[in-house]
Amino acid sequence: MKPSAYEYLAPETCEEAVRAIAEHGDEAAVLAGGQSLIPMMNLRIAAPRVLIDIMRIEELDVIRDDGGSIEIGAGVRMTRAEREIPEPLLGKALRHVGHAAIRNCGTVCGSVAHADPAAEVPAVVLALDGEVVLRSARGERILPADEFFQSYFTTAREPDEIVVAVRIPVAAPRVAFLEVTPRLGGSTGEFATVAVAAAAELDAAGRFARVSLAFAGVAERAVRAREAEALLIGAEPTAEILEAAARSAAGAVDPPADVHAGAEYRRHLVGVLTRRALTELTA
Amino acid sequence: MSEWTLYAQRRWAGKRVQRLEDRGMLTGATRYVTDVQLPRMLELAFVRSHAPNARIAAIDLDAARRTPGVHAVLAHADLADVHPTQDFVELEGALKTPRITLPADRVRYVGEPVAAVIAEDRYAAEDGADAVILELEPLDDDEPIHDGIPGGRYFHQAAAHGDVDAAFARAPHVIGRRLNIQRVVTSPLETCGIVADFDPASGELTCHLSTQMPHLARAALAESLGIPVSHVRVICPAMGGAFGGKEVMLPEYLCAAAAAIRLRRPVRWVEDRSEALTAGAHGKEAEAEIEAAFDADGRLHAMRARFESDTGAYSSGIGAYVEFMVAAFTVPGLYDLDAYAYDTGGVVTHKAPLSPFRGVGMTTSQTLREVVLDDAARALGIDRMELRRRNMVADGPWRTVLGEDYEPGSWRTAFERALELIGYEVFLERRASQRKKVARPPRLLGLGVSPFVEAAGLGSAGGAGGLPGTSHDNATVSIDLSGRITVAVPTFSHGQGHHTTVAQFVADMFAVTPEEVRVLDGDTARTPFGMGTFGSRSGVFIAGTVSRAGVIVRDKLLRVAEILLEAAREDLELVDGAVGVRGVPARRIPLAALAGAAHFAPHVRAELGDPTLTSTAFFDPPRPTHSNGTVAAIVEVDPDTGGVAIERIVAVEDCGTMVNPMIVEGQIRGGVAQGVGLALLERYVYDETGQPQTTTLAEYLLPRSTDLPPIEIDHLETPSENGTAGIKGMAEGPASATPAAIVCAVFDAIAPHGASIEDLPLRPETIAAALAAR
Amino acid sequence: MTRIAIEVNGATHELDVPPRLLLADLLRDRLALTGTKIGCAMGACGACTVLVDGAPVRSCLMFAVQAGGRSVRTVEGLADDGGELRPLQQALHEHHGLQCGYCTPGMLMSLSPLFESGEPLEPETVREAIAGNLCRCTGYETIVDAVVEASRR
Repeated sequence: MKPSAYEYLAPETCEEAVRAIAEHGDEAAVLAGGQSLIPMMNLRIAAPRVLIDIMRIEELDVIRDDGGSIEIGAGVRMTRAEREIPEPLLGKALRHVGHAAIRNCGTVCGSVAHADPAAEVPAVVLALDGEVVLRSARGERILPADEFFQSYFTTAREPDEIVVAVRIPVAAPRVAFLEVTPRLGGSTGEFATVAVAAAAELDAAGRFARVSLAFAGVAERAVRAREAEALLIGAEPTAEILEAAARSAAGAVDPPADVHAGAEYRRHLVGVLTRRALTELTA
Repeated sequence: MSEWTLYAQRRWAGKRVQRLEDRGMLTGATRYVTDVQLPRMLELAFVRSHAPNARIAAIDLDAARRTPGVHAVLAHADLADVHPTQDFVELEGALKTPRITLPADRVRYVGEPVAAVIAEDRYAAEDGADAVILELEPLDDDEPIHDGIPGGRYFHQAAAHGDVDAAFARAPHVIGRRLNIQRVVTSPLETCGIVADFDPASGELTCHLSTQMPHLARAALAESLGIPVSHVRVICPAMGGAFGGKEVMLPEYLCAAAAAIRLRRPVRWVEDRSEALTAGAHGKEAEAEIEAAFDADGRLHAMRARFESDTGAYSSGIGAYVEFMVAAFTVPGLYDLDAYAYDTGGVVTHKAPLSPFRGVGMTTSQTLREVVLDDAARALGIDRMELRRRNMVADGPWRTVLGEDYEPGSWRTAFERALELIGYEVFLERRASQRKKVARPPRLLGLGVSPFVEAAGLGSAGGAGGLPGTSHDNATVSIDLSGRITVAVPTFSHGQGHHTTVAQFVADMFAVTPEEVRVLDGDTARTPFGMGTFGSRSGVFIAGTVSRAGVIVRDKLLRVAEILLEAAREDLELVDGAVGVRGVPARRIPLAALAGAAHFAPHVRAELGDPTLTSTAFFDPPRPTHSNGTVAAIVEVDPDTGGVAIERIVAVEDCGTMVNPMIVEGQIRGGVAQGVGLALLERYVYDETGQPQTTTLAEYLLPRSTDLPPIEIDHLETPSENGTAGIKGMAEGPASATPAAIVCAVFDAIAPHGASIEDLPLRPETIAAALAAR
Repeated sequence: MTRIAIEVNGATHELDVPPRLLLADLLRDRLALTGTKIGCAMGACGACTVLVDGAPVRSCLMFAVQAGGRSVRTVEGLADDGGELRPLQQALHEHHGLQCGYCTPGMLMSLSPLFESGEPLEPETVREAIAGNLCRCTGYETIVDAVVEASRR
């Protein structure tokens, strides 16, 4: 399991990086933390001719907090994000990503750009209605997460664009992140069968003012349970309402089956996790 | 000669001595095959089949040969003079499938090696492998996988002991159970590997090989490559685990050796994890069915069991038999049956060939039998443990329904002890009270118990679970002219700490310290012939051979002392590395001086006759040892997700006299951990077209630290009557008993809700579906 | 080829490396530090774990070129030059926290920063810290016991 040969580029500015990707297009892959790309290269599932290492670009290694939202640059590693970002939902989710050594290298934006439908970070970004900042020789684009994530490992990123940052609004005060894996005793880490990233705000009367439920592992990309959310807005979190939301969320997905889990089980877990997340949010 | 007991002192054997092996491992100095660096060494990568069942239509090696860094590319035609791997199994009626090193015209499983690329490094070798053009034409499903084996069934045996039909006919209750035992992968952390080095001047082939059986590997290499055994040397550097997966002579090894011979440069092949998972040491897969005949009081009278192994593409080698044969012969376990019948066999299929895997068929029979006992208890309304009590044999020697003689053991005592430790009665109360409080508990509680017996140290007389075999083991004990003791053993440690236990044992024979004993294993040039380490045999064979050789050498030393001290044997004592006259402290001669005299003092040599301080002794046990124990587990099942948490595991072990209890406990914990993997996590999946689905460690789930609870251990000690110094073989018992304990515990949790499962492992999805289906 | 300067176990090396050379192979083959093992080449088993700038990292998922200008520590760099085992290594030894030894270097490197913090550790914390390191021999418990006990000395 050794990778194929490639040409290594290590630009020191964003501009250099953008020029490099403009030149090489889809023959190039962006190398950030490498924790998703290098396994694929070791297995020779991926064999890019050019790697553009963006981790030497200082301007990308920043976390900017303007009070209402947080911008996480493409160079920010997950461990640093866990430690420094005050946004609680991301922190909760990051604890479940791989293992500590993976998070020491892997980046938040890398997970967003990789768009594994079972990954935790895209679900969080989607739950928070985050935005993805893309840069190319043609300028900068900002896409809402729901537009950015398209399908299995497929995003709206053009071959000549680099994800340079992700922006997430500071979450509603109530957040929950729950994950089901095949492992024992609710262990964290590794890969999720199904995960839910949830955020909510209750009004003074205890009714849902805002709620968002985003799932990983139930479709070709991270998805929001919008019908279930609509059901909850303005409602009190009674057992019946939560049950209705759970049924709605489960009914709205048509999950794929793969070696990890079948469709029926994934759909079942959507219901279970919706119920549990909402319970935790409203505790 | 006056009577001298085995041990001159009791200072080390039986103690928790810290391991002599550790320093190298802790500092990264210990070398494994992958760390062996020889000058001019090349690396080998294989081209492997991407189809499960196909004709090799074409194989074009030109582009591969021209790839930068590639030195050679070999396919079938290049290895035509390498004979198929030796198959040691001699079972009447067994249909053989010779294993040619690289196939000529047909592939039979995804991952089967088809060509070998030898290059400067592994990177270049894989570049070369990518450049090989392999055209495979899929064959029909009904194309026989091997000629002459109709339906793929290469072996079948059925037998009955006692009047089984009559027992079933009159039994008021017959309980049946089927389990689909999943395919798993042995997965030691260190994968397989070889460095082959041929010296054209001497015609000698040296293979650094990760193998459990160095001398058998040597013979197999010699036979297949057409080199005299005397000119083949197998050196095993440290081995990073094996668990049965490093017993067989792999075609990959032969290929690397043939390449080294042809190229006249050392060639290394290290199996990567992809290869290990896809085409490596698979284990266990079988259909297992049992029927048990009970009377109204829950007395078990008879059983019928059926096993069919899914063996994979080749039936050559021990891995093709140890599952279904050992399973069939171990069904009765510790229960007193009047009659027992089995129907067992294997089929070849388009999957990777099965290897032995710790516990072999014992795991399957144990799980199947303990589950059906629990089923019966539920059906008959009898407490599950009471049912076992009514049928378990009393402690002590016993002859089974199969005619196997168990030496004395603590069968019942271990069972009761485990129940006490796991708190069976307390558990029942706790669960009853939980059920009273909450209609729908957030967690379903279950408890499972698995009493086991393990036969180990099987010699020629015993065979192994119905498999005939002959056993040849020797050890050599030598004392060099400086008085240091060197012991060369017939086994090879894969992590079990043999160097330490042997040193403890020998230190007590010669009244020295373990640090002063040098232990050699794993190198055919430095050790006498032996069968290696597998089947929990090492403790028995090491003790048997080393004690015999050691006593002979010690006797020589004592004779030297008699001469030098002018004393009679009965007045001598061996204390603190010196022989002296009892009661006369001034008259003591250290081992070094005794050895020096034997080498260089002419008058001593003249009186001795034969002054050599070395002895090689053979040992073939006439009877096996029987260790036993019980594993018990409490689990919590999340009824919504199907997720399982193990609350507690208890393991009671009786392996007779322990040389190093710390090492025994390590074996228990490791075995229990593997058992958890088999019960709940590990499965190797092929889709309906024969394509593997679980090809990385992201899909094939090995137990992690966060999956396992602490493992509580208790020891009993029934010294062996058949093994030397009371030692019984161990280490597969807990491994093979744990899946039963966990499966029974989960079934205990879900059965009251009407859920039933046949497929292992018990994944969350499987459990959730079973609960939803009721 | 790319020229990199890399510090390994306190010694600086200037090397020309092909971009695709994994850090693990640089350490093992170019620098003969074979203590670090490659167990799966995709980050799942932890056998290749080394410290890069003090943080545990999978050396099978890092190219040598990415480690240029960084400081790497391997298991060989743990024991002092006198060969004395460090407390963490000694603790594993005393508690039988290793059997075949193949996972041991990765375990040590994954545990090293946590242990060096000097905090007394709880079993759950230690289990979590080694959750990314596979061991097929020990069942993990003696490793956990070793670290917990040693952290309290």
